Amino acid sequence: MAPMQDDCVFCRIVNGKSPADIVYEDDRVVAFRDANPAAPLHILVVPREHIATLNDVPEGSDIISHCGQTAAKIAEMFGVAESGYRFLINVNHGGGQVIFHLHVHVVSRSNPDMGRNPGGRTSK
Amino acid sequence: MTDSANDCVFCKIIEGKLPAQIVYEDDLTMAFRDSNPASPIHILIVPKRHIPTLNDLTEEDALLCRLGQVAQKIAGDLGVAESGYRFFINVNRGGGQRVFHLHAHLVAGNDLGTFFIKVAVGVAVLWRKLVSLVKRGDRRGGNTS
Repeated sequence: MAPMQDDCVFCRIVNGKSPADIVYEDDRVVAFRDANPAAPLHILVVPREHIATLNDVPEGSDIISHCGQTAAKIAEMFGVAESGYRFLINVNHGGGQVIFHLHVHVVSRSNPDMGRNPGGRTSK
Repeated sequence: MTDSANDCVFCKIIEGKLPAQIVYEDDLTMAFRDSNPASPIHILIVPKRHIPTLNDLTEEDALLCRLGQVAQKIAGDLGVAESGYRFFINVNRGGGQRVFHLHAHLVAGNDLGTFFIKVAVGVAVLWRKLVSLVKRGDRRGGNTS
């Protein structure tokens, strides 16, 4: 696993050194609410391993599939799996990537089930 | 291999029954240009197996990894890997999915256009300000002389 990068915002969140509204985590990814949401539901799924962009995912890695499974789980948790959502990866500056730690946006304009606590912890 | 759904447009493209501008193909996937592109580069990457949505992929299915790898390759081939692109999957109607055969969009080129438009507008605004300042300066100069 790539070492944590001190200047990477997402490495700091993944390692509990910066706060985030975490909604899901497992041994490979952490998912939290985007600090500047573009839609009623806007979650970022971030691999724990520091990979800069989609271009840098090594051949044979299954991290993108794991992110996809996580996105589907999150959509289910928030009640938008059937109504609909978007799984989005921005790649490099021209693709809109701002933080160079691979992340998947799970975005839904459907009204998420705000009343449900998806069971994740909120880091302080 | 294809486990085709009879009325599925993408299954028909994969089987060669409908035309498409194919840019890549391997044992599991096919990629072709979107017939209604939202951007100068708009490629659809589809699994050959008929899977309706991202929600229908199983835990052990590594297909999404393959779609990501194909996106990397196509972005490289089209010269946008470093400049940037978007890789996204719309899921169900509220997510914008219209064809219910899992597909990933690879989109690039729009941001560059937007950038040039912003630059052009910025230059025009600055030019008008400059012209008005020069005119004002001329008027003041005329009053004092």
